[in-house]
Amino acid sequence: MNGYGGKILRVNLSTGKIAKEQTPVDVARDFIGGRGFGAYYLYKEVPQGADPLGPENKLIISSGPMSGLMVPGAGKCDFTTKSPLTGGYASASMGGHFTAEIKYAGLDSIILEGISSKPVYLFIDNDRVELRDASEFWGQGTIAVEKQFKEKFGEEFQIAVIGPGGENVVPYACINHDFGRQAGRGGVGAVMGAKKVKAIVIHGTKSITVSDSQAYRNAGKALFKACKDASFLEEWTRYGTTVVTSWCDEVGALPTRNFSAGSFEDGKNLYGPVMREKIVITDKGCFGCPSPCGKYSRSKKYGSYVEGPEYETIGLLGSNLGISDIEAVAQANLLADDAGIDTISAGNAIGWAMECYEKGIFTKDDTDGLELKFGNIEATFELIGKISRKEGFGALLAEGVKKASQKIGKGTEKFAIHVKGMEQSAYATHNATAMLLAYMTCDVGAHHNRSWAITYDLQVGRDLVVPEKVARVIWLQNFRPMFDVLGGCRLQWVELGIDRNLYIAALDAITGIHRDWDDYEKVGDRIWNLTRMFWARENDGFSRSWDMPAPRFYEDAPESGATKGQITKIEDVHRLLDMYYEQRGWSNDGLPTSEKLAELNLSELVA
Amino acid sequence: MTATIKTSSGLKSYLDGKDEFEVEAGRSVLETLISLNIKPELIALVIVAGEQRSKDYVIQEKDVVKVMAIIGGG
Repeated sequence: MNGYGGKILRVNLSTGKIAKEQTPVDVARDFIGGRGFGAYYLYKEVPQGADPLGPENKLIISSGPMSGLMVPGAGKCDFTTKSPLTGGYASASMGGHFTAEIKYAGLDSIILEGISSKPVYLFIDNDRVELRDASEFWGQGTIAVEKQFKEKFGEEFQIAVIGPGGENVVPYACINHDFGRQAGRGGVGAVMGAKKVKAIVIHGTKSITVSDSQAYRNAGKALFKACKDASFLEEWTRYGTTVVTSWCDEVGALPTRNFSAGSFEDGKNLYGPVMREKIVITDKGCFGCPSPCGKYSRSKKYGSYVEGPEYETIGLLGSNLGISDIEAVAQANLLADDAGIDTISAGNAIGWAMECYEKGIFTKDDTDGLELKFGNIEATFELIGKISRKEGFGALLAEGVKKASQKIGKGTEKFAIHVKGMEQSAYATHNATAMLLAYMTCDVGAHHNRSWAITYDLQVGRDLVVPEKVARVIWLQNFRPMFDVLGGCRLQWVELGIDRNLYIAALDAITGIHRDWDDYEKVGDRIWNLTRMFWARENDGFSRSWDMPAPRFYEDAPESGATKGQITKIEDVHRLLDMYYEQRGWSNDGLPTSEKLAELNLSELVA
Repeated sequence: MTATIKTSSGLKSYLDGKDEFEVEAGRSVLETLISLNIKPELIALVIVAGEQRSKDYVIQEKDVVKVMAIIGGG
């Protein structure tokens, strides 16, 4: 197939069997690649009720038809599994250069099955695929291990690696790559750790065939030219995702002290220009990126280097913890990356613990002697390590805020900020109804990247609850994740404003099959419904209550900042869901109807 | 007395497909955005001659003022 590596690699860790099979044409037609392949194989092959950390669960790692080719940002890799954090669907997208090597090794997906009896790493050099002993690397941080592999095999090899957090199966452990890129959310690193796979080391030199090489070159050049000519290329590249920090503070979306407010009185110290001046030393991009948003930083205070921090980390390990020192945030970022835990979930867990402490629910007797007041930088550093080792008080926080708050009780569930067990990323949603709905209905839990609707809230009226907002959320959910399906980055489209039809010309030339965006959005809808069915299959009683947001956003108005005194009324939360289910073609309990499944050609798969 | 406002392409759908406007100098960026029906709270960054400015910056003659909206998020 044009645009594809052509093979699915299966690695059974229990038996050591390594096998390849042809990438199925019909699966490529209906699910395209990347996140679509992940959703398909997860639903089809992971048996109902599988333990996320057991041998029956699988970790499905997929590139897409765009990956590794001359398309801006063609460096996205999808990691799909049954989440140990939520018990539902997990799909984490990772930038960098890993996905290109999957394609160059002649592959589309790598499926890890079973559990190894000892630590191993998966070595792939074109057709040479081996499981090798990783005992000497077990216990080490991600950065040291990646460095050793680079020295051992050469710079051309790309590495995905877990840290102690993954080894200790912290349910929000991540997978690291390229010294600072992550498949961050949902515990994909814990699944890799449970399988005793420390790393995947990959390199390939194979060609990827395209259908029309001249049209492909022309379309690729047009895309890169559009990026180069974009009005805000320079500004976007200068600040990357940190361009939103000041804006979020201004509009009341910056998570502050465990989402109790959306503006931070010391937020100015965390803004993009401050970070650029104080710690950034260069920009860092992923494969084929003309607008590198990654910032490589140096902290003089801590004597360390880190890729980041990105906005999400600034929000969760900065303002959400009452920390206003950008160097401290960068250091916390480094510690979390090296330990291999998700900065978003970790920032939520620590923020929840700090609020418990300030409310008197925890004392030093509970926290291993740590004075967990908001703003305590050293305690934050300490807790990141404790979480990754599941040590002492860190073992509680390692469970995630849903389970930790259920264990502690005393009303702490009210300020555990999550949906479906996944901690909320860095947008406070006290009064932004489209963004709140986007979090409530996101396919992995409270994550922002499927549907980033907060500007739509501001444009049309942030507290409005109208069908148009719901339609916008659904359109974004169907469309934006298609970049994760295609194996590329959405940021050139969303931030540089590249005409999305330019991608169609490239994709048509690559695959030789004409598809327009309506067709791709239909695939997005199909994947969305399939993963919804996965949630329902794996969780007894899965229904509307699972889509409820953290009570903080409908009960607990901020006492300061841009959203002072503002919440979303509970009746509006339910109205949002009513409209959402109706527009999705789902039942009043939030389940896809048989008619909807038939419309999407999913009836047979989910039967 | 004229200057130019350039907006993010992502705002085009809110601005009848336009992303560049001739405006009068002598008013603040904030006032000018409102006059163009651009919601000021959508704007994350104001750049004039490569320098970041606040929305209170008073636009000078022949300025090219770039106003960057946040459209996509992470």
